[in-house]
Amino acid sequence: MAKAAEAVIAQVEAKRSTRRRRMSLQMTGVAMMAPALFFLMAFVFVPMGCAVYLSLYQSTLYTPKPVFAGLANYAHLFSAPDFWQAAANTVWLAVGMMALSLPAALLLAVLLNQRIRGRAVFRAAIFGPYVIPLVSSGLIFSLLFATDGGPVNLALQHLGLSPVNWLGQARTALLSVLILTAWQFTGYYAIIFLAGLQSVPSSLVEACQVDGGGRWQVFRHVTLRALGPSLFFAVVICLIQTFQTFDQVYVMTGGGPDGATTTFAYYIFEKGFQAFNIGESSAASVVLILVLACLSYLQMRASRRWVVEES
Amino acid sequence: MKVQHILKAATYAALSVAAAACLAPVYWMIRTSLMPTNGLLSPALWPAHPAWSNFVAAWRAQPFLLYLWNSVFTNGAIVVLQVITSSLAAYALVFIPLRGKRWLFFAVLVAMMVPMQATFVPVYTMLSAVHLINTYGALILPYAGSAFGIFLMRQGFLTLPRDIVDAARVDGASEWWILTRIVLPNNKPTIVTLVLLNFVYHYNSLFWPLVATNTTNMRVVPVALSYFLTQDAGQTLQWNDAMAFDIFAVAPVVILFLIGQRYFIQGVAQTAVKG
Repeated sequence: MAKAAEAVIAQVEAKRSTRRRRMSLQMTGVAMMAPALFFLMAFVFVPMGCAVYLSLYQSTLYTPKPVFAGLANYAHLFSAPDFWQAAANTVWLAVGMMALSLPAALLLAVLLNQRIRGRAVFRAAIFGPYVIPLVSSGLIFSLLFATDGGPVNLALQHLGLSPVNWLGQARTALLSVLILTAWQFTGYYAIIFLAGLQSVPSSLVEACQVDGGGRWQVFRHVTLRALGPSLFFAVVICLIQTFQTFDQVYVMTGGGPDGATTTFAYYIFEKGFQAFNIGESSAASVVLILVLACLSYLQMRASRRWVVEES
Repeated sequence: MKVQHILKAATYAALSVAAAACLAPVYWMIRTSLMPTNGLLSPALWPAHPAWSNFVAAWRAQPFLLYLWNSVFTNGAIVVLQVITSSLAAYALVFIPLRGKRWLFFAVLVAMMVPMQATFVPVYTMLSAVHLINTYGALILPYAGSAFGIFLMRQGFLTLPRDIVDAARVDGASEWWILTRIVLPNNKPTIVTLVLLNFVYHYNSLFWPLVATNTTNMRVVPVALSYFLTQDAGQTLQWNDAMAFDIFAVAPVVILFLIGQRYFIQGVAQTAVKG
């Protein structure tokens, strides 16, 4: 009897101690998450909530008491031509990047994936612009596109054409910003595609070649299909980056002329930090967060689907 | 055979053109920084007499060392804090059977996509309430936790065999010991990648320092550069001095890139191919 009781007690003790250990493991885990979570809470999630809250009030930095305004800020935003202009500029930039930068990056990745000499040097040169501060490259491109003495205009004049006021005209200013952005990021996308290309199983390529597939067929049926995830990732990152475009615009054009280069992020900055219209600026922030959230959601869903397919 | 030769030649040609296009603006920056002021409108591809004095003038025009110190100190602190908070959090996410882990990771992914441009008004208000605006604290604290850092560290930690961690636990090792003696030493490349990528990222970014600081002595390099163009120089902007100053600003990141190239490229590749 005593022995059986002892055994039961020992069992209970053991259970209790594993439970205790598991509990303490949980506590350790929570403690380890705490620092990161604290900072993310304080500087991402709480401000996000605040942005939603502020977007419902009419306020400036200097009004002591914000007035509840319901959705008035949003209504005002959606009826403001300059908001739509900023949105259109951003979409134009995004489309431009996808038409210009991504195909170039894909081509470069395919070329860099060949067995060639000096590959590392080419790769470094092509990726290089990505590490240069956008402010610096904005400054460089302001010089390249300068009306007087800028090399682009010098070349035009050399060809007998008249110089263009690149950054001072609505039509060419945004194009100049696009060219700089493409210069900055194409190498980055090329590296993303290169990583995708290197994950293409060589057995598939060989199988396709055995079936009599030429270079083009291999590229279309094997490489492009395997590249799917990277392509999608690049498109989404490209969109996200475009919606955050700020530094180069601030340096090159200050959003002008007449809002021709004002992007979504720049619009929020102008409204909030220069016009001190906190309500409308926050409303635009909330719209930006929603747009980015949709994009991230798409990306997450897509990557999950591909992962499942792979396994 | 012949077709292959042509293709190879075309590959080299195309890559050379692309590399040249990437380097050309940098070349023009260097060329202009050496141009004498009276030769700024000249189409010369290289100055006949390089004016090295432009660098002296640019160095004297602005307290560059102060800006560089501001940048290096704040971004160094950011990166150190990020490595600490991110490795702790990633460890919990990977090796500890936490309840609600999936939600935590989801929160990290959400945090990763929210840019400062969308939250800067509340962050500014909060920091000014505790009198931190225009201090190093304002530049560092908002980035002490990094969703990207957690994400990257998690990717690295996942490649470590679980058995090692479990075995250490059975031997009675504490979680802290496992993290600092097993997990981190086995993830040195991930740490280096995080340090380099995020140091350069924060060194380069203009937006938040522009908002959070307002005196000359608190400027970081990108802010100083933007002022060089927009206000201090104004109408009489001398491109040669501006480019000389720009070279000072770019040099630290270019040097870091040349040293740690492998990590940059692997880091970017790693974020794209994810599980």
